[in-house]
Amino acid sequence: MSDRLIYLDNAATSFPKPREVLDRMLRDYIEMGVSPGRGSYDLALEAEDIVGRARKKLALFFGAPDADRIIFAANATDALNIAFNGLLQPGDHVISTRLEHNSVLRPLYHFRERGWISYDLVHFDGKGFVDPDEIGRNIKQNTRMVIVSHASNVLGTVQPVEEIGRVCAQRGIPLIIDASQSAGKIPIDMTAWKVSAVAFTGHKALLGPMGIGGLAVGPDLDIKPSRFGGTGVDSRSPVHTETFPHRLEAGTINLIGIMGLSAGIDYIMQKGMESIHGEEMALLKRLRDGLWGLEHVETYCAGDLSGHVAVLTANVDDVNPEDAGAILDGDFNIAVRVGLHCAPLVHEDIGTINCGAIRFSPGIFNTPEDIDHAIRAMASMS
Amino acid sequence: MTTEQEREKLLADLGRRARVVAGREIYFDWEGFFWDPNDWTEEVARILALESGLEDLTEAHWNVLRFFREYYFYHGRAPMNRHLKEGTRLSLGAIESLFPGGIRLGARRLAGLPNPKSCF
Repeated sequence: MSDRLIYLDNAATSFPKPREVLDRMLRDYIEMGVSPGRGSYDLALEAEDIVGRARKKLALFFGAPDADRIIFAANATDALNIAFNGLLQPGDHVISTRLEHNSVLRPLYHFRERGWISYDLVHFDGKGFVDPDEIGRNIKQNTRMVIVSHASNVLGTVQPVEEIGRVCAQRGIPLIIDASQSAGKIPIDMTAWKVSAVAFTGHKALLGPMGIGGLAVGPDLDIKPSRFGGTGVDSRSPVHTETFPHRLEAGTINLIGIMGLSAGIDYIMQKGMESIHGEEMALLKRLRDGLWGLEHVETYCAGDLSGHVAVLTANVDDVNPEDAGAILDGDFNIAVRVGLHCAPLVHEDIGTINCGAIRFSPGIFNTPEDIDHAIRAMASMS
Repeated sequence: MTTEQEREKLLADLGRRARVVAGREIYFDWEGFFWDPNDWTEEVARILALESGLEDLTEAHWNVLRFFREYYFYHGRAPMNRHLKEGTRLSLGAIESLFPGGIRLGARRLAGLPNPKSCF
């Protein structure tokens, strides 16, 4: 039993956060925690400046051409709902994939159940990847958008977004990506990849706190506001502003979350995203190789880890994954996520829908010793 | 449909099913967890254990079942993993091996605690 918690659930949320990120977030909020852009006093302008700089930072981070089109939201689910509500019209058709999280599946289902839209979900192959041409084959005359999870939260497979973007652009269909598992781990260039919007969350690999995320919107995407209210501008008008970013942000924004997100991005840039990703993938490979040495352990779509982020899903023969999670926690002080991971169709396709699976997702503070401990723990059950 | 009928339909939709065990009508959910932990008796536990392949519930089994129930009724919730380990003085791996079905579908279910309904 390890004396300290070995946290391998970074795909759910990164933990712990870097101390310097939390310190800076708190310091900035203590010094400038006023309503940004709502007052004419210097401190409000300084707070607004922090928000503006965060938008610019995110625009650079995602290759977005216009920082004013970086919209803050509560999380990626919230951001995706802003996109769905602001884009979809009755009669529209949507293409997505069977890799999606419920953050995509449930809104689509909701709209379809009300008879507003139809959609097709493209299958992934035996290695966990979607074929861009298959997306192209599903495009119809009324297809309004393609929405794809950039990296699967179950399999860790990174989808060929650049190729999908090319297919979509040829047919004039906007491509939206859910970057919940990729933002902060691997580069995203929405301009080069012809991606029309990126939904992101701040509390995973971007190392910020929970409650902050957003939508980077490309110039081609005319998302209508679906929430209305105060923006701090043009208060006399009864009509919600059409101007970005306030067009899609109603009410006071999450300033402390934005401060933390901004500090998280600085931390990543300082350490180097490639370096962080390389270290995490080395840990994942160590884990995969160790699990492959165990007779009664099965891994899913982990044959070739190139084109993956640090997420690995496994099961132990004859041990319910929920019990496995309890044993890892109670007997070995290891935190993992078990179940269906809010992505039921992935589990349907890999044959784990009845019981789910055990997901390991190492992060920046894990060590090779943590991984070896996890392998020994899994060995005890196999 | 009356309110009572609507309620019954809703419960049926949620997988609630009645069974007679040890001469008592008891409601279980779709995974065989007790709908009401108060319906549990030692006799019912013995019969359910037999159905799961356990010929005899030994003192080791009762130790786990009693701890689950005492903890649940005192705290109003199931024990966390570390509390289960401390309270039973058994590793979770040992509890897993002790019950057919393991910790959740074996021990917890036989102890009459409600379905934890985790991420499924």
